[in-house]
Amino acid sequence: MLEAVFCLPLFAGLIAFLLPVKLGRGVLVVGALLHLQLTLLAWLSDFPPLLPGYFSTAPAGILVLLVTSFIFVFIAPYSIFYMREQEMQSEPIFIGSMLLFLGTMSMAALAEHPIVFWIAIEATTLVSAPLIFVNRSKKALEATWKYVLICSVGIALALLGFFFITLSMDRAGIDVPLTFSSLNTAAKHLDPLWLKIGFIFVIIGFGTKMGLAPMHTWLPDAHSEAPSPASALLSGALLNCAFLGIFKVHTLMVLAGLGDFSGSLLIGFGLFSILVAGIFILKQPDYKRMLAYSSIENMGVIAFGVGIGGMALYGAMLHLIHHSLLKSSLFLSAGNLLLGFGSKIVAQCGGMTRLLPRTFVSFFAGFLGISGLPPFGVFVSELLILIGAFKAGHPVAGGLFIASLALVVAGFARIVTSMSFGPSRQEILVPEQTLRIVSPFALLLTSAVLCVWMPEPLHQIIINTIAVIGGTIHG
Amino acid sequence: MESVVSFGLALLLAPLFPGVILKTKALFAGKQGPPLLIKYFTLIKLLRKGSVYSASTTFVFRLGPLISCAAAIMALLFFPFAGTAPLIAFHGDVIMVFYLLGLGRFFTIVAALDTASPFEGMGAAREAFFSTLAEAAIFVVLILFFRMNGALSLAAYFSGSQPISIIGSQGALLLLVIVALFMILLTENSRVPVDDPATHLELTMIHEVMILDHSGPDLALIELGAFYKLFFYASFIACLIKPPPLADPVANTLLFYGVIMLLYMVVGVVESIMARLKMDLVPKYILTAFALVFFAVILTLEIV
Amino acid sequence: MINSIDLILVLILLAVLLSLGSSRMMALIKIMALQGAMVSLVPIFIEPQARLSNGGILFFQLMLLIKAVLIPGLLYMALNRIAIKREVEPLIGYHASLLVGLGLVMLSAYITRRMGLSLPGDYALLLITAITTTGGGLFLMMSRTKAITQVIGYLMLENGIYLVGTALTKHTHNIYLVEFGVLLDLLAGVMIMGIILHNINRAFDDVDTAYLEQLKD
Repeated sequence: MLEAVFCLPLFAGLIAFLLPVKLGRGVLVVGALLHLQLTLLAWLSDFPPLLPGYFSTAPAGILVLLVTSFIFVFIAPYSIFYMREQEMQSEPIFIGSMLLFLGTMSMAALAEHPIVFWIAIEATTLVSAPLIFVNRSKKALEATWKYVLICSVGIALALLGFFFITLSMDRAGIDVPLTFSSLNTAAKHLDPLWLKIGFIFVIIGFGTKMGLAPMHTWLPDAHSEAPSPASALLSGALLNCAFLGIFKVHTLMVLAGLGDFSGSLLIGFGLFSILVAGIFILKQPDYKRMLAYSSIENMGVIAFGVGIGGMALYGAMLHLIHHSLLKSSLFLSAGNLLLGFGSKIVAQCGGMTRLLPRTFVSFFAGFLGISGLPPFGVFVSELLILIGAFKAGHPVAGGLFIASLALVVAGFARIVTSMSFGPSRQEILVPEQTLRIVSPFALLLTSAVLCVWMPEPLHQIIINTIAVIGGTIHG
Repeated sequence: MESVVSFGLALLLAPLFPGVILKTKALFAGKQGPPLLIKYFTLIKLLRKGSVYSASTTFVFRLGPLISCAAAIMALLFFPFAGTAPLIAFHGDVIMVFYLLGLGRFFTIVAALDTASPFEGMGAAREAFFSTLAEAAIFVVLILFFRMNGALSLAAYFSGSQPISIIGSQGALLLLVIVALFMILLTENSRVPVDDPATHLELTMIHEVMILDHSGPDLALIELGAFYKLFFYASFIACLIKPPPLADPVANTLLFYGVIMLLYMVVGVVESIMARLKMDLVPKYILTAFALVFFAVILTLEIV
Repeated sequence: MINSIDLILVLILLAVLLSLGSSRMMALIKIMALQGAMVSLVPIFIEPQARLSNGGILFFQLMLLIKAVLIPGLLYMALNRIAIKREVEPLIGYHASLLVGLGLVMLSAYITRRMGLSLPGDYALLLITAITTTGGGLFLMMSRTKAITQVIGYLMLENGIYLVGTALTKHTHNIYLVEFGVLLDLLAGVMIMGIILHNINRAFDDVDTAYLEQLKD
């Protein structure tokens, strides 16, 4: 039964609220490992859902689930050692919320019914709010409030969008169960006007959650104020889940013959997000906020790639995977930096090469990777998107894309070099610890390996995801 | 004949109902309260007294009470009480009616200004301001009724073949109108939460402060005019919420006065449970009434 | 006889308008309770009674309980606990808010008329109400500084969206289980917002969102 994939972490999370801290940490790691196994089962073997009207193993969902589960396995042990240094007051709540967060994200990834998907996404907002608030500072409070309110309102609009899509079904007089797959099969007959309106609401709604500009305002606050493992999870997993909603509706639009409409909207939002992120990164004094803006940029890249379609679509899916790996690795390194320097302000950190050499390696490698340099996967994915854009006849958009990316890299490079080689501080607060270094390195390594060697099942699932709407690897 | 009787009955009974308000308020406060006929006693008492006029006042001051009372009685002439035909009715009489009431108010205000007392001037200014706002709301009600009924006459609204009533086809919209009219009733007749008829401090008064210098029969006329005005508005609302007319005219009249009694009791309850609004919140209050009616108008535009 | 569905819708509209003009927190919460109750009654009156299954009856009772009792109750408790000043303190004055409310009705009436032809059934007023409620909720969120008023605005937005859902879609594919999930999310959301409110109050001694302006670029 497929539902176990999200039921397991949900139950484990609820139990972890009650357990003492030490036991809770065990539950977190064991839960993460079990979840990965269940995910692999759902991916590789036949794992039928108990409620086929609500959940399914659609390839796009499995892909997102796989990424989520994989990075969670590395984030979970890291967060245990991270929290040991932090002397957190409410660790059981943190652990419980992490597991609940994983559960709700898995539920979203597997959802087949639009409203069930909506419920799961709204639930991710609610269960991740404690993760951001866990430091209990005034700033964390502000970030949490903005996060919960802005995302709730945004997602409420997405619900409106789903209602409009349902209406397009009613208008056409089609009576099929309300699931993504049956909508896809009936796509040709749906009422196009309402479908378009529905898509606009969905892209605004889930775009808020995904961090597309100009609805991104909550994202830098939440990502910078949350503890680093939570930031890594927010950036590496949650944004993908929100993207999944847009992607599913975009699929429907393409099948309904409205792919140009939804595609150009996606391209527009995508480019705008990259541009906004680039502008804000340039003068960014806070390195965690910089990473957050980089997430906005990468979400923009994914939206852009999906909007272009064809080969770029393959690139976008690849980008989704690699962004999750690299960005969560970067956030974990940033957590080590924060522990070491005790500050998120770039000007107060320096001499990373000397003080925190191993973290420097992981942080700098992450920077190279996210900037699109080999041997990391983002190089391939961005290249594919770019080629796709030019092939599909969007040279202007492609040019803008390159320019904006250059802006991001410039801002990023300024910060990383200043932190790495800048004037050195005298001492650090918490020394490096091998246990906290393993996870970021493992994630980086995965990205590098996937860049040169893609396992066949993984390749297959990407192809399955994009084949429905005409994405190919060969253009 | 029937019309004359119903008109006379209204004139006779109007001073009874403010006693109902007093009684309700007293019961709420756990007191026994004055007798129901208290207002009649007050009127008789005042009429037996003589009037005192300040040396600085002119004939305008004496004209005020007379005209305000006369205008209120005139307004009642047009009203179809309990569905009986009114004494006077013509196309457009609603506008006439509301301007008659406005005329009465004008003379009350002018009389207050004539005393040259700063307090009364202040009261007059407030009265003029608030009633200007309320007038907008009333005229939107008339627009709405015109849209619903196509007539411009009180008789056609409440006694014709298609009376406007909450049980009609568009009754739901009238709910908004009733709430708004009730708010206007409280405003126009200087009741809580706009004005407090029982207050003792001149600074906080609106209506009462304007009539401080009137005494004896003049004051009686003003009181009577106020009773009729309140009765007019109450009848207006009563016509909207009244159940369908009964065949028997006597039973019908009884039903009508029962509804009116209920309305006055609601006024009493409102006065018991609500505090007066701050003076600067009163325009908001009236504007809310206006907005409610305007709502209804927009809805008729789209639905019908 | 009087059309009961119209009556309910007009009451919902009334609640929107009154909430825009209301200066007291307590009054606002009571208005929300009324609106919640009315909103949960709408589908009962729209659907032919015969189609109401046992599950449906149970669901509507739950919805009434949550929307009209539990959520306003939570807000009421939050308000009492944090002992904030009971004035609403708007950014945009009450008069302007009321006018915006009127503008919203006009706008939604216009939208409804434009879409009029393509509507299933005869629910023009329902759609007007739904759009006005949604817009009113958004406006309330933007124009009031107190965090708790923003929660109320969010609830109104949700009510509006729910009404859009009932107005536009045939109820056949909306399964109660799913709707219940939505409702549960709403309840949990209000609870979490209440907890944050409590913390905001403890940290700043007020729940004015003007204090929440440290994080920006």
